[in-house]
Amino acid sequence: MSVGPDVATGDIPAPRLRRPLAATWRIVKSQPRATIGAIIVVFFVLIALTAPWLAPYGVTEKVGPVFEPPSAEHPLGLDDAGVDMLSLMMWGARVSLVVGFAAALVAMVIGGTIGLLSGYFGGRTDTVLMRMTDYFLVIPDIPLMLVAAAIWGRSLSNIVIIIGVIYWTTTARLIRSQVISLRERVYVKRATAVGAGHRRILFRHILPQVTPLIVANTVLTVAIAIFAETAIAFLGLGDPTLTSWGKLIENAFSHNAITVDAWWAIVPPGIAVALVILGCTMVGQAIEDTLNPRLRVGHLSVRRFRLRPLQGTDQV
Amino acid sequence: MRGADYVLKRTAFAIVTVFVALTLNFVLFRAAPGDATSSLRGCRNCTPEFRDALYAELGLDKSKLEQYWIYLQDLAHGDLGLSFVSRQPVWDELRDPILNTLPMVGLGYLFSIVFGILVGVIAAWRRGTFADWGGLLSALVFYSLPTQWLGLMLLILFSGVLPSSGISDPFIEFTDPSTWEVILDRLEHMILPSLTLGLVLYGEYALIVRSSMLETLGEDYILTARAKGLANWAIVWHHAFRNALLPIVTLVALTLGYVVAGAILVEAVFSYPGIGLVTYEAIFSRDYPVLQGAFLILTLSVVVANYVADLLYFRLDPRISA
Amino acid sequence: MSVLEVADLHVWFDLEQGGELHAVQGVGFALDAGERFGLVGESGCGKTTTILALMGLLPPTASVAGTVGLEGENILERGERTVSPHRWRDVAMVFQGAMNAFNPVKRVGAQIAEPMALHEVAEGAAAREQVGELLELVGIPAARANRYPHEFSGGMRQRAAIAMALACKPKVLLADEPTTALDVMVQAQILELLVTLSDDFGLALVLVTHDLPVVAQVCERAAVMYAGEIVESGPTTALFHDPRHPYTRLLFAATPDLYGEEDVASIPGTPPRLDRPIAGCPFQPRCDRAFGRCEEARPALRSVADRHAAACHLNDLPQEVPAA
Repeated sequence: MSVGPDVATGDIPAPRLRRPLAATWRIVKSQPRATIGAIIVVFFVLIALTAPWLAPYGVTEKVGPVFEPPSAEHPLGLDDAGVDMLSLMMWGARVSLVVGFAAALVAMVIGGTIGLLSGYFGGRTDTVLMRMTDYFLVIPDIPLMLVAAAIWGRSLSNIVIIIGVIYWTTTARLIRSQVISLRERVYVKRATAVGAGHRRILFRHILPQVTPLIVANTVLTVAIAIFAETAIAFLGLGDPTLTSWGKLIENAFSHNAITVDAWWAIVPPGIAVALVILGCTMVGQAIEDTLNPRLRVGHLSVRRFRLRPLQGTDQV
Repeated sequence: MRGADYVLKRTAFAIVTVFVALTLNFVLFRAAPGDATSSLRGCRNCTPEFRDALYAELGLDKSKLEQYWIYLQDLAHGDLGLSFVSRQPVWDELRDPILNTLPMVGLGYLFSIVFGILVGVIAAWRRGTFADWGGLLSALVFYSLPTQWLGLMLLILFSGVLPSSGISDPFIEFTDPSTWEVILDRLEHMILPSLTLGLVLYGEYALIVRSSMLETLGEDYILTARAKGLANWAIVWHHAFRNALLPIVTLVALTLGYVVAGAILVEAVFSYPGIGLVTYEAIFSRDYPVLQGAFLILTLSVVVANYVADLLYFRLDPRISA
Repeated sequence: MSVLEVADLHVWFDLEQGGELHAVQGVGFALDAGERFGLVGESGCGKTTTILALMGLLPPTASVAGTVGLEGENILERGERTVSPHRWRDVAMVFQGAMNAFNPVKRVGAQIAEPMALHEVAEGAAAREQVGELLELVGIPAARANRYPHEFSGGMRQRAAIAMALACKPKVLLADEPTTALDVMVQAQILELLVTLSDDFGLALVLVTHDLPVVAQVCERAAVMYAGEIVESGPTTALFHDPRHPYTRLLFAATPDLYGEEDVASIPGTPPRLDRPIAGCPFQPRCDRAFGRCEEARPALRSVADRHAAACHLNDLPQEVPAA
């Protein structure tokens, strides 16, 4: 049924996704939601990358009194130790984003690999693995992270590992179900019949098709990871030597910024975190929505089809 | 009975998960390389004999397997150990806080579900219109705000208008209040933490409901309903919503872990004396028995909630049989 | 007077990347009561869009032009407003893959009765009785009304879908690929059922399909669609034995596969894109009889015999075109 053109879009569906990363990028460009989200994230990544050169002051440089309000010199005011908030925000971006991306990477690598292998080879290993992850999925993620952080220590690498290890299961399940449905597709069966090895099938046929989904999921995991970091930092379990946005919020809270109405110490880090999470969510969801064929059609609509008056018989 | 198999399977699953949770709890706190009792090293008055006695008392001199067995037995008797800080039974420290947290979380949850469904359904129904963009935007914004930060913002916003901490007015007894005044006072203290939790959850649920409804509205039977001549609202109510509920229940169950995390953060911000605050303080003071007990309670409540969601799904979907 | 008369029907779809797709280009046909008409073509030729347009079931990205006459009245006159009162009451549809036409969480009987209450045909106990009768009519025991759709087999669900379509006793039944994905035995039963219904109740039937044996079995007349327009129409026997369009000839001459697989796989090439105007005959690139004129001028649908029309330049040539 897929030989002819799709009446609605005039497209002919392709059986294989060539250059998956380019295709994913195309999806991002085509959806305004995703483009805006991507711009936001890139903006903060740039800030994080250029902080060592662009940040006006250091992280521990005391430049004025405690909780000094914003001024021309310090547009975001000073924090509880008299340090410039704008600089803190820029340096903080580095930590928060590194944790977010690194943890998401860990989750993606572990989850993606297990999902791919488990879905492709199936069998007993698959059942056992999935059953185990099922049990663990029920256990609340962030409290588990808090406990792990409380017990094992508060270094950055620990936090990244903890977050990544807890989130790989969702990625794995997602990839696995996609791989299973792909496994049954005709071209995979053809490749097997021709004698292609597992490695070839996995890398040439299955991985490209799954890549957009992996990208979407990783982006969404970045969002969750960044939030998890702020939660861990807020409860005093973050790396004490590093300043992240989450730590800034915690600082403001524990040093009673509220009582002195020092909103500039609380508002910026929260907004930054929210924006990055928003951006990642928009991109990730846009990709997922585009990949989901069931979302393209909607039989219900508020608007109606339109009428056109006939202008003679030649409408070509 | 229809689906007896399904119910049995889910019950078995819940029970196994409980055991996994218990074991995980044990492994984390006892068998982990960073021994949880290492906080004892900070104890200056501890002579070596005292430390040995404490070790024995806590059963740490036995093998891990023996400790595990004792742990399970204690749990069966409701014994969660003694707090490092107060030397009181952990259960005593947790009991009242649990009762405080339940209504607060319940209120927030209710808020988020009601508005999440409302906004999600309308956004999906009126896809592509302003209602859709507005709903989607509001949901995304609230979903992205860090819970603790939103709490702080609300604190600032309502300072002076609503109480900013605690569960009740400490002086209220002196005014000889009526039951109604007591309840009102409690509500006043509950409303900000509930609202914070509710708003962030609303964001997540509105997104889930909207997605689910959009998928449902693409199904063939919706086109059939339209062909039959049903009005849009009738299609949404009689056909779409009931079907969209199924994935909604599943997804809402998946987010329960987040509800728990949110409760901890919110109670920390508002110093609301619930189990979240207890957890926070236990982390702070490295009171591992209390932390272990609290974590266990939180985990078990999520397991139970998931189980309830499974049963609810079963009631809603007639396709589940043997 | 014809029960259904479609004239110069056009449907355009807005495209995401701008521009529009001219999915249906000037389709017209007429049906009397009790007549069975086939609409044939490969996937994407616009036949489904055509019948969806008859009931106004198009998405908001669609624009429509033309008339759809239901017993003389143009129901497309003011779009949704004039079409919706006739839905199910006068024109009903059995959808492609009717397995999913039923809401999985509601009982079948309730879904059949639903339009009855809506269009004030019957309610409550009277409706339930009629539901039972309808089910018996299509060969399903009335007691099954209380079951859920997943408890029905594929063929039974299809029959139930037909019963549901008849709930308000419509004059026209549109059937979109009613037998695809059903095994051959069940297929025959469904087709027989449709024939009986149209004979006994004077139901006008439009049968959309890519499966030619089906058309041959059920329909007295048929139209062949290609790239959004009708390229040939006439009595089914004429289409089989005396096709006047190369596409029809190739279609009907192709040996049907044992498993009912793609019957046009033997025609090389793919249909043209419909998002830009086509110069000349749309079938020309794939045609084995194309000549000079075919690339320049678009052939119009003209009568070539009694009630038999075709859109092909070959019919204008003086010599007789031998049937393949």
